[in-house]
Amino acid sequence: MTQERNLSIPGGLTGALLGLAAELALEEITGMEVVSGLLAVIGAGFGLIRIDRRIYEATVNLVKRVPVEPTSDYRDVIQQIDEMSIELPELRENFVKLIRAGMEAQRA
Amino acid sequence: MVGLNSLFKLFRKTFAPKFEGRGFLPRRYYLYRALEALDEDDIDEAVRMITLAGLDKKKSARWRLVCQQVIFRCRILVSVHEKQMDQINTELEIFGKTEDLRNLYLRLQEVERKARDILKNYELQLLEQLSESTASVAQPS
Repeated sequence: MTQERNLSIPGGLTGALLGLAAELALEEITGMEVVSGLLAVIGAGFGLIRIDRRIYEATVNLVKRVPVEPTSDYRDVIQQIDEMSIELPELRENFVKLIRAGMEAQRA
Repeated sequence: MVGLNSLFKLFRKTFAPKFEGRGFLPRRYYLYRALEALDEDDIDEAVRMITLAGLDKKKSARWRLVCQQVIFRCRILVSVHEKQMDQINTELEIFGKTEDLRNLYLRLQEVERKARDILKNYELQLLEQLSESTASVAQPS
């Protein structure tokens, strides 16, 4: 015996619309951004659990945000990173690992 | 769900400033907040959070790494401000013929200098904390 599933598209749309209306009404009344607040809680929780991944992402972001002149090539960027990471041994080690991994990925 | 959000907001608005400022919360929380601030280039907040995360005598490897990340970003931003100061200097020599323009360039230069000095101050502050943590690693008590 097969169980028949009844999916209603108008029903789904109505539900979504009601949810949105409720969210907006709550935001208007309480002044609280419910969805973004909830995402912040989830994000913070996730970040606390996966702090190592978060640190790794921040390291990658740091490299990405090193300002690059239009005339400079990768050696200039490496030199700049080298100069800026003096007295920062652990970070320098991570940068070296990242650069090595990037070069190996390019070779492969 | 709404209840959880309200509780979180209430916590952030009422208790968090008291707890956050005293360093009662888990160290990971402060590191997470420091990384968040670093992503937004809010160096002041990142330094505050790093300082709170490093209130323990024994600082973790994670703390050292995040601290170094903030120092690195400070140095990058300092170099950006210095380049802008050079640019302003060049333009001042070329276009600063009238008194008004000259004053405008000088004011811009002053803003850049202040920003650079604030960042350098943060860098020194963090380097000091970092060297303290190195010293505590070198001399186990």
